[in-house]
Amino acid sequence: MTHTDDRAESEILAAASPSLDRRTLLRLALAGGALGLAPAALAQSGAGAPKRGGRLTIGADADPIGLDPVTLTAFSSYDFTALIYSGLLRWNADMKVEPDLATGFEQPDPTTYIFKLRSGVKFHNGQDFEAADVKHTFDRIRDPASASPSATMFASVKEVTVVDRLTVRFDLHAPSAAFLSYLATNPTGVIVPRGVGELATKPVGTGPFVFESYQPNQQFTLKANPSYYEAGLPYLDTVVFRFFKDQASLTSALRSKAIDMTWFKDPKVSAQIVRTSPDLVSAPGKTTRTFPVWMNMKAAPLNDVRVRRALSLATDRAACLQTVLGGSGKVAAMVPESHVGGYDGAGEMPYYKTDIAAAKRLLAEAGHANGIDLGDYLVVAANPLDVSCAQILQQQWAEAGIKVAIKPMETAPLIGMWLKGEFPTLLSVALSWSPDPDAIVSRITSMHGQGKSSGMADAKLDAMVVEARTILDRGKRAEAYMAIQRHIADNAYVLDIYQYPLRWEAWWSHAKGYAPLAANIRSFVRTTWVDK
Amino acid sequence: MVAIGAAMLALLLLVVVAGPSIAPFNAAKTSANSLAGPDATHWLGTDSIGRDLLSRLIVGGRGTLTITFVAVALALAAGLVLGLVSGYVGGKVDLVIMRLLDVVFAFPVFLLAIAVVAALGPTIRNLIITIAIVYTPTLARVVRGPVLSVKRWDHVEAARSVGVGEFRIAVVHVLPLVISPILVQTSLTLANTIFTVTALSFLGLGPPPPDPNWGSMLAEARQFMELAPLTVIGPAVAIVFASLTFIVLANGLREVLDVGNR
Amino acid sequence: MMRMVALRLALTLPILLGVSMVAFALMRALPGDFAQASAGTTTISVEALDQIRRNLGLDRPIWAQYLAWLGNALQGDLGLSFATRRPVLGELVPRFLVTAELTLIAGLMALTLGTCTGLASARLRGRVDWIVRGWNSLLLAVPNFVVATLIVLLAGLYFPTIGIFTYVPFAEDPVANVVSLLLPALSLALTVSVTISENTRAAVLEVSSQDYVMVARAKGLTASAVLRDYLVRNALTPVITVTGLQMAALLGGSILIETIFTIPGMGQYLFESVTTRDYPAIQGIVLVAASVVLLVNVAVDIAYARVDARVSYD
Repeated sequence: MTHTDDRAESEILAAASPSLDRRTLLRLALAGGALGLAPAALAQSGAGAPKRGGRLTIGADADPIGLDPVTLTAFSSYDFTALIYSGLLRWNADMKVEPDLATGFEQPDPTTYIFKLRSGVKFHNGQDFEAADVKHTFDRIRDPASASPSATMFASVKEVTVVDRLTVRFDLHAPSAAFLSYLATNPTGVIVPRGVGELATKPVGTGPFVFESYQPNQQFTLKANPSYYEAGLPYLDTVVFRFFKDQASLTSALRSKAIDMTWFKDPKVSAQIVRTSPDLVSAPGKTTRTFPVWMNMKAAPLNDVRVRRALSLATDRAACLQTVLGGSGKVAAMVPESHVGGYDGAGEMPYYKTDIAAAKRLLAEAGHANGIDLGDYLVVAANPLDVSCAQILQQQWAEAGIKVAIKPMETAPLIGMWLKGEFPTLLSVALSWSPDPDAIVSRITSMHGQGKSSGMADAKLDAMVVEARTILDRGKRAEAYMAIQRHIADNAYVLDIYQYPLRWEAWWSHAKGYAPLAANIRSFVRTTWVDK
Repeated sequence: MVAIGAAMLALLLLVVVAGPSIAPFNAAKTSANSLAGPDATHWLGTDSIGRDLLSRLIVGGRGTLTITFVAVALALAAGLVLGLVSGYVGGKVDLVIMRLLDVVFAFPVFLLAIAVVAALGPTIRNLIITIAIVYTPTLARVVRGPVLSVKRWDHVEAARSVGVGEFRIAVVHVLPLVISPILVQTSLTLANTIFTVTALSFLGLGPPPPDPNWGSMLAEARQFMELAPLTVIGPAVAIVFASLTFIVLANGLREVLDVGNR
Repeated sequence: MMRMVALRLALTLPILLGVSMVAFALMRALPGDFAQASAGTTTISVEALDQIRRNLGLDRPIWAQYLAWLGNALQGDLGLSFATRRPVLGELVPRFLVTAELTLIAGLMALTLGTCTGLASARLRGRVDWIVRGWNSLLLAVPNFVVATLIVLLAGLYFPTIGIFTYVPFAEDPVANVVSLLLPALSLALTVSVTISENTRAAVLEVSSQDYVMVARAKGLTASAVLRDYLVRNALTPVITVTGLQMAALLGGSILIETIFTIPGMGQYLFESVTTRDYPAIQGIVLVAASVVLLVNVAVDIAYARVDARVSYD
C-alpha cells in the first residue's frame, strides 16, 4: 500500500491513532479545524484572513532542561522542541497521525516501513534534510552512550537504512502498533541534523521556528523560520516564552496582557480567570492525565487482593472529582479517554462502586476486622491537586477503617522510590499523556522494571499486554485495552481515581488560529496569528 | 505594655491548649462546598476543598505556635550552654564554638530547611529541629556578650578568690546577670520564629497535611484569593497577631527590666 | 587597622570552606538526583539513567567529586550547570545582579523610611514618638511574605490590569525595570525600616545629649541647623552600619519575595536548583550567598572599629 500526502487519512494511520471524543471533535471543529483540513485551512477558518507578522508571548511555568531531542528527559523542554524541531510524522488537531517531513510511506510487510521524504526541506543552519539525517537520528537514539529516553520507545527498531537521498527504510523486530505514534511524537521522533554538536544549548531543527535566545528564568525567544516548508507558515514573526514559576503570577500576567497565552494546572483557577473577561478563550483539551494510587504489593498487607479491593470499594472516585476539580474531568481507569481503548469514566469497572460495608467485610475476611493502618501514603508536594485528593481519600478510607498518613515529598526522590518499588505501601504520582497506551499499561506488568519491583506477578496480564502491542486493527486494539483495564481493576493492582486535561489552556482572543493538542505540546503556534 | 502582651499571649495559649475543642468544625473535613463565602455556618467561609476556614485557623494556630514554642525552647537551651561555655571559658574553646556558629550563621536558612525536609521528610519534629539549629547562633551570641563582661566583675572575681568552683560561678553568679537581655531576645526570637515557621510552611516545607498551618494555608489560598479573599486575609491576620504579641511582650520586658534603654 | 582587616578576611576563608562542605554533603545526602529529577515520569530505562549519571560524573566517590569541585572553584571555575550545560558563573552573575538590585532598592526604601520615622520620633517626641513606636511594632510583626501576598491580593482585586508580576530586564528598559521592582522591594523594606528607625532614634537622642551639641545650641544655632550639622553627621554612621547589617537579612528574605513576585534572582535560582538537584548551581549559589553575608559582617565590624575607638579586636 502507498500513502501519500493527499491521502493522509489512510487506514494504517487511523489504526495507529487514539480514539476520538465526539464532543472534543465538535469543539475543535468549531474552533476552526475540521477533520482532514490542511493546517493553513485550520488557521483561516475563524475571523477573517490571517495577519502576517507580530509577536506572541506565552507564559510558561518551567524552564527547559536541555534542547537536544535525543538526550533531553524533561517534560518542560517539550514546549520548545515542539516549535524548533519536526519529525517524519506528527499529530493533527484530532490526534490522528499525519505526514510531516515524510510525504508518505509504504509497508511491504508488517515489520518494514519505507518512508519517502519531502524534498527541499532545510535545517535552520541551511543544511539540506536527507535520509542520512533520519538514520543519524535513530542511530544516536539507539546508541547507549546517548542515554536517550526514546531508546525504550524505539526498542522495536532493528535497523534504519538509507535507500536513497530521500528514501529511508525501518526494519522492526516485530509488528508494533505504537511505532507510528512514537514517530509522530515530539520530541521522541523528531529529526536532528548530522554533524551539528551542542544541540542541547544551540538547537538546530526543521521546525517552523528558529531558536534566537534564552535567558534562564526570564525568557526564551524564537523567530519565524523563513525557509519553513509549509507555504505561508508560520504567520508570527516572533514567539516569546516568559517564565512565571507559579499559578498566581501566571494568572496576573495573563489578566494584565503581559502574556497572550498560557496554561493552568487547576480547572478552578482557569475558570476563575476566564470569567473575568469575555475576550479570554479557554479550551481544556482532552483528558490526558490520570491520578492513580500505586500500591506496593511485594509484602503484606497489599499483597492480599482482598485488602486492595477493600481500598477500591472504600474510594468514592466521583466525590474526589467533584471536590478537587469541581467536576471538570472524569472517573479514570488506567488509560485516559484520549487514547485507543481509553476509559470514558462511565462504563462498568469492577470494584468501582463505593460500598463501605463490602469493604469492611473484605478487610475482616483478610484478618483486619478492626481496621488496618497502612502507614505512609506518599504524594508529590509540588502538585496541590494531588495533595488535596490524597486528603479526601484519607477521609474516605478512614470510614472503612483504613488509616493512612499523608507524606508529601519532593518529586525526584518520590519518583525514584516509585520506580524502584521502595515505598512503604501507597504512593501517588500522576501520569501525563504518553504517545501510546502500551507505555501506560506496561508500567503494571511484571516484565517492566517498575511493575516487577512493586510485586507484580500476573502472567495472564503480561500476555495480554504483549499481545495488545501487536494488534494493528484499531477496533480490536481498543477492545484489548479495555479488557486489560478491567483485569487491572478487578485485581485492584492500581487505584485510578480521575482523569483530566493536564493543561487548561487560556488565551486572549486576539491570538487566532490556535488549538490545543492533547499531546501536551503547542504545535498550533505555527498556525497562530495575532490580531490586536 | 507587659500587661497587654500577657493578655495577647493568654489568648494564643488558649488556642494552643483548647485548639480542636473550640473549633466549630473538624478542621480536616472536606466537602464539595468549596471556596464558599462567610455565612452563618462557616463564619469565615471555606477553602478550596471545602474545609471550614475558622476551624483551620484555630487548629492551625495550635500547630504553628506549638512548633514555635518548642523550637525556641530548644534553641534557647542550646544557645545558653554554648554561649555560657564560649563566653566563660574563652580562649580556643570560644574561638572554635564561634567559628562553628559562623558557619551555621552564614548558611542559607532555606537551603538548610529544604535539605532537612527532603532528607527526613516534612514532619513537625524535623521542622522544630531545623528552626532550633537556625536560631541557636543568635541566642548563643546574646548570652556570650554579657557573659564576657560580667565574668570580670568584682563579685565574680571575689567568689573566685574564695575558691568557689567555676561551674558554680557560671550558674550562680554569671547567669542571673545576663538573664534580662536573654528574656528580651527570647521574646523577639519567638516573633522571628513565627515568621520562619510560617515562611517554611508557605514554601511547602511545613508539617504534612491534613494538619493545617498558617503558612501553608496562606500558600494554598494564593491561587484562589480573588475568589475568596478571606482565605488569605485570615491566616495573614493570625500570623501578624501572633508575632505582634511577642514584640509587644519584648518591648514591655525591655522597659520593665531596663535592658538596652539608653 | 590593615592587620585587623586582613585577619578578619582570612578568618572568613575557613568558614566558607565549612559552608561549602556542609552544602555539598547535605545535597548528596538527599534522596534523588538530577537524572531522576529531570526525567520525572518520562519513560526512561534504568540503563539510560545510569549513563546520564556517568556523563555528569555522579558515579565517582563523593569525596572525589568534592575535591574536584573545590580544586576548580579555587581557580574560579564553578563548573557547568547540569540543567543548562552552561558555566554556573555565567548563570549566577545576572541573577545575583537582580537580587542585588532588589536588595539595594529595598535598602534605600528602608533607609529613607527608617531615618524619617526615627528622626521624627526623636525630635518631636511625645505623641509622634508614641505613634512611630506603635507603627514600628506593627511593621515588625508583619513578615515580608505576608506583605507581599497582601499586595498581590489588593492589586488583583482592585487593579487587575496592572502587571505586577512582569519583571522587566534592566537591559531592556531601565526605568520599567526599577518600576517592576518597587512593590517587591517595598515588601522587603518595611520590616527592615524598623531597625533603622529605632537606631536612628537612639543615635539622635544620644548625640543630642552630647556636650558639643549643647554648646552649639547654647551658641544660638537654630534647632534645625544643629540637627543638620551635628546630629545627622554623627548619628548617621551607626545608622548606615545597621543598614549594612540588614542587607544580609534582605538577601535571605529575597528568596520568598522572588518566589511570590517571580523575579529571576538568586533566591528563585536556589529553589529551582535544589528541586532539580543541580549540584554545581547549588554550590555556586551557597558560596556567593555565604560570601556576601560574611563580607557584610566584616565591613560592619570595620565600620564599628573606625567609628568607635572603644571597640578593639585583639
